[in-house]
Amino acid sequence: MAVDMKTIEHLCSLSKLSYDEEGMEKVMGEMGSIIDLMDEIKSFDLAYDDTKDGNEIRFADTREDVPEESFPTEKLLANAENTDGCYVVPKVVE
Amino acid sequence: MDLTRAKIRDLRSALDEKKISAAELCGEYLKRIGEQDKNLLSYITVTKEKALSDAENAQKLIDAGKATALTGIPLAVKDNICTDGVKTTCSSRMLENFIPPYNATVIEKLNAEGYVLLGKASMDEFAMGGSTQTSAFAKTRNPYDLERVPGGSSGGSAAAVAASLAPAALGSDTGGSIRQPASFCGVTGIKPTYGRVSRYGLVAFASSLDQIGPIANDAHDCAILLNAICGHDRHDATSARVETPDFTAKLGQPIKGMKIALPKEFYSDAIDDCVKKSVMDAAHELEKQGAILVDCSMPGLKYAIPAYYLIACAEAASNLSRFDGIKYGYRGEGRTFGELIVDSRNKGFGEEVKRRILLGNYALSSGYYDAYYKKALALKQEIIKEYSEIFGQCDVILTPTAPTPAYKIGAQDNDPVKMYTADICTVTVNIAGLPGISTTCGYTENGLPIGMSIIGKRFDEQTILQCADAFEQGFSPVAPKL
Repeated sequence: MAVDMKTIEHLCSLSKLSYDEEGMEKVMGEMGSIIDLMDEIKSFDLAYDDTKDGNEIRFADTREDVPEESFPTEKLLANAENTDGCYVVPKVVE
Repeated sequence: MDLTRAKIRDLRSALDEKKISAAELCGEYLKRIGEQDKNLLSYITVTKEKALSDAENAQKLIDAGKATALTGIPLAVKDNICTDGVKTTCSSRMLENFIPPYNATVIEKLNAEGYVLLGKASMDEFAMGGSTQTSAFAKTRNPYDLERVPGGSSGGSAAAVAASLAPAALGSDTGGSIRQPASFCGVTGIKPTYGRVSRYGLVAFASSLDQIGPIANDAHDCAILLNAICGHDRHDATSARVETPDFTAKLGQPIKGMKIALPKEFYSDAIDDCVKKSVMDAAHELEKQGAILVDCSMPGLKYAIPAYYLIACAEAASNLSRFDGIKYGYRGEGRTFGELIVDSRNKGFGEEVKRRILLGNYALSSGYYDAYYKKALALKQEIIKEYSEIFGQCDVILTPTAPTPAYKIGAQDNDPVKMYTADICTVTVNIAGLPGISTTCGYTENGLPIGMSIIGKRFDEQTILQCADAFEQGFSPVAPKL
């Protein structure tokens, strides 16, 4: 199945990605081949039964919701580009 | 001391008998890394100072008679496993400067044993690939032929062990990322049952499939390492509350009467003849030891690649949405909030990661969700059912690990479909959450390793380790010439 430019633009929007004109042509071809491969699954004729998964988290096993010591703030902020005792994000004007 | 393919247990004896100190052993590996890794590129970060300091601390434990299995043993760790204070890049520009403020649970467990961290091993970017050529920093080469790939995504870990730049390593496996590089590099790697090992601190790719596991020189060393890292973890809600047996307990026990299934779809025309022959020769070797070979079928394998990629990419698209340049990762530029995020992700992610995010969002998007994602979940249920039927008759399943031996670097560039279909032998194990081990079963005419996989029932790592070990006892591995 060929993928059209409109679909790729929609996927880029959902994915928060973009390509230049040349990149767009390339990724359109690649995604077309990949989706052809994924389309093989359409010939499988069983439906998903969400009652049969049995992989849900058992909430009885979760830990108690009690406060405990966490990471030191300075250590968490060490990866931030700009800090002033808190996390500074770049100024953006919409 | 000759470190060529040195086993953890041999190093343990040497340390305990004071034939070598922990610092000397660490120094020997660091020397080898310094000499060899400029050609191999298996490490992204070598933690020389920390390693020597770890070794000093380990020696104190040894001298005090408090050594455990991994005290003073140097290891490599895949660069998607968080190490407190040590850069963890996931081989991505996105995390080029990320220094985790905490340790993954597996690292805490290794620390408790007094292990020595040699460094962080290269991998495909965010574990997406089977060649380690999507790494932004170290495109690892195969120690048996530097013009070939080491496999992936844990290619750095496997290559480091094969080249004796570490006696063992940790990798992670989402669709074959421990077993396939172990196969390409002629070492042994086990993907434990989903839930056996905590994923806390493993940078997420596909959360329902990811699992950390050991890569080592043989099944026995894998068992030793698995003993150290397994167990329930309250930080990971998907880690299982199950008993953790001694994984070395069944090693050396005869495999007489063990039923080994051979599903015919794993031996199709898509698999190279040399691989099929080598795996079948190994099957007959196991038969000579008393195992019973059982022919069977797994029709769902036909759909395994799309099912795997739809599930894995859908989860990846969600997991990687956190990398926005604001909260996490490389920060780009932009006049608006939206532009800043797009620019950060465009520059931070490589091409393969972007393709998988696009595919994941395609599978999850309105109008396609039922046709793709839910259909993939239906396939997951079918594959689990088919495995369950086979395990009703047999103890383990034997398959090739990869359709081919290691291929030339560049051979799969620009062909994602070829790259994806090469995962056919490994992905169903992740889809069904089963344990699988790959060990070397032969070599091509050119001396490239060929791997076979032994798949087990959920939480029955002991039996696949026993089976792999039984084969290894009669097999002579050949170390690469570097």
